[in-house]
Amino acid sequence: MKGIKILERILLAIPIMLGIAIIIFFFMRLTPGDPVDIMMGKAGMVSKAEIANLRKEFNLDKPLHIQLFLFLKGLLKFDLGKSFTKGMPVMELIKETLPATIELALFAMMFALIIAIPVGVISAVKQNSWIDRFAMAGSFFGISMPHFWLAIVAILIFSVKLNLLPTQGRISYGVELAHITGLYVFDSIVTGNLEALIDTLKHIILPAVSLGSAMAAIVARVMRSSMLEVLRQDYIVLARAKGLPEWLVITKHAVKNALIPTITVVGLQMGVLLGGNMIIETVFGWPGIGRMVVNAIFARDYPLVQGVVMFYAFVYITANLIVDIIYTVVNPKIQL
Amino acid sequence: MLQIRNLTSVFPTDSGMIKAVNGVDFHLKQGQIVGLVGESGCGKSATMLSILRLLPHPGKIIQGEVLFEGEDLLKKPLSEMRKIRGRKISMIFQDPMTTLNPVFKVGEQIRESMVIHGFFKKDGWNGFDFFRRRRKRKEIDKVISLMEEVGIPSADLRYYDYPHQFSGGMQQRALIAIALACNPRVILADEPTTALDVTIQAQILDLLRRINEEHGTGIILVTHDLGVAAEFCHEIAVMYAGRIVERSKTDDIIEDPKHPYTQGLLKSIPRIVKHKQKLYVIPGSVPDLLQMPPGCAFAPRCVYAIKKCKEKNVPLTEIEEGRYVRCINYI
Ligand SMILES: Nc1ncnc2c1ncn2[C@@H]1O[C@H](COP(=O)(O)OP(=O)(O)OP(=O)(O)O)[C@@H](O)[C@H]1O
Ligand SMILES: [Mg+2]
Repeated sequence: MKGIKILERILLAIPIMLGIAIIIFFFMRLTPGDPVDIMMGKAGMVSKAEIANLRKEFNLDKPLHIQLFLFLKGLLKFDLGKSFTKGMPVMELIKETLPATIELALFAMMFALIIAIPVGVISAVKQNSWIDRFAMAGSFFGISMPHFWLAIVAILIFSVKLNLLPTQGRISYGVELAHITGLYVFDSIVTGNLEALIDTLKHIILPAVSLGSAMAAIVARVMRSSMLEVLRQDYIVLARAKGLPEWLVITKHAVKNALIPTITVVGLQMGVLLGGNMIIETVFGWPGIGRMVVNAIFARDYPLVQGVVMFYAFVYITANLIVDIIYTVVNPKIQL
Repeated sequence: MLQIRNLTSVFPTDSGMIKAVNGVDFHLKQGQIVGLVGESGCGKSATMLSILRLLPHPGKIIQGEVLFEGEDLLKKPLSEMRKIRGRKISMIFQDPMTTLNPVFKVGEQIRESMVIHGFFKKDGWNGFDFFRRRRKRKEIDKVISLMEEVGIPSADLRYYDYPHQFSGGMQQRALIAIALACNPRVILADEPTTALDVTIQAQILDLLRRINEEHGTGIILVTHDLGVAAEFCHEIAVMYAGRIVERSKTDDIIEDPKHPYTQGLLKSIPRIVKHKQKLYVIPGSVPDLLQMPPGCAFAPRCVYAIKKCKEKNVPLTEIEEGRYVRCINYI
């Protein structure tokens, strides 16, 4: 039963992906600027014949509907085409940059949850106290500040003024690290490489905090309001009437219920973290998918942009599905 | 065994103080069932919650004593209070559907009550626990036998169910099992059957009576149904707008109600009769707890009310041995 429902959801994703594919295909081509012109502009003097050759190679000489057909046909075979600018299959490029993006997203999420869940819980328990007010003002700040601004301020303070943390990249030049998963922190732990561990951690702190702060703010608010809701329920009175100490009433009986709505938000935010980090990756020179797609947009690298957008769509849909599956685990009432 | 004296609890609200419990006096003797009867909103639940000091925010107790085994619960530190809740005095709630925690297995919720009060003694060395599994198995077996005792069929399977897989009646049985878990001295049963249909009601009440008889557990049975109270209770206290208006042995109240409100309640119990008979309804409505009349709270609805009733409030007075009435006509 459960399996069938999950399958149904996966099948439902197909028309959505198709729609996204068509939209991004036309959006790219509606954007002013021609990929070949941009490439040639960089290369300097080139002959007409060379330009025609390039167009031919990229299939840009074919009518639009043929181009669309070729793109969709490729998608069916999980072939996202070849990047104009890098001359490599888009799939390869995504695989290459994905670990960096995932690592950053994981750390951002970890930072967000470690801060947000306790803050939300304490705010609710101490509703209207100064802790609550302070935390909610902080989260309002976190939601409303654009994260590139936060990133720049963080760089100014921790890198420029205090000279504590690096501002660019994932690892310092000259630090050796064996690549196993591509998640540098993980790899350095597995290989017992202390130098690399410290170095990669130093690199990831600022981008992760900048990226995670908005999520922390949102999750803290959701957690607080669902805790407030839960604390009013009869089963909380029962837990107290059983003689449970207050900390157990909160951490066991209330938090597990309050997590249910929070999980949805966290899951969707995970999609945002994986897909919405172009600015942070650009600011911190983080070699992930986000920075790659920004460059691809400037170069009008159609296949690369299309491929990454398809990948983002895939991540969003998967994140949603995973949220729903986790939901059935924590909330026994829901059977998907 | 449990004596409540002059208990007064309020809910401060924006529009004023709501005196939900207003100088309530009554007691529960060892092994008895006492009925607390009154209309919706008269403060029955607030009284029960005050006894365990579980009034929801912003409610608070401003006066009175709750004497249990000779000690005033209202003066105890909270840590002491926790050892009494669920261990010596437990509570059964009005709405079983919302009282069990939806995310934990029913059996685990019952087991938790026992564990929290150290009902399962760890024997000897307490360090690394080699026998954890076996001990847990024992605990589960004990919970299952308790579930059987309160009439949950195939308890060994039901242990692992979640609350939403239980019917309302079964949920209430599970809650009774939670209340019984540590074999308490007193059970506060707050309208345990209001949310259930009639046949289930009778079963649950029978179960409570059996518990009372077999374990000698004292029960305060809160109900809005005087008929139910008459059938099950040794004594009845009638509550109106936060006050006890009459209190005595069940037979006395049923055969010879003194307070006009009790008389009205008694007349309005529906009976199965052949002829069409209009149900008696007490005229008027419950007073707003924010604007209580200065005199007797029932005076505006009372057919015997005289001028003095609306001016002066009389205390609960013993008019005969063991009969207490709060009415000027008997003083
Ligand atoms: N959280 C609260 N805030 C403000 N007032 C409250 C609150 N809870 C209860 N009250 C007030 O206290 C009074 C008594 O409520 P209580 O729940 O004790 O009534 P009850 O006799 O148990 O009624 P019912 O038969 O409906 O359960 C009510 O009139 C209500 O207005
Ligand atoms: Mg009630």
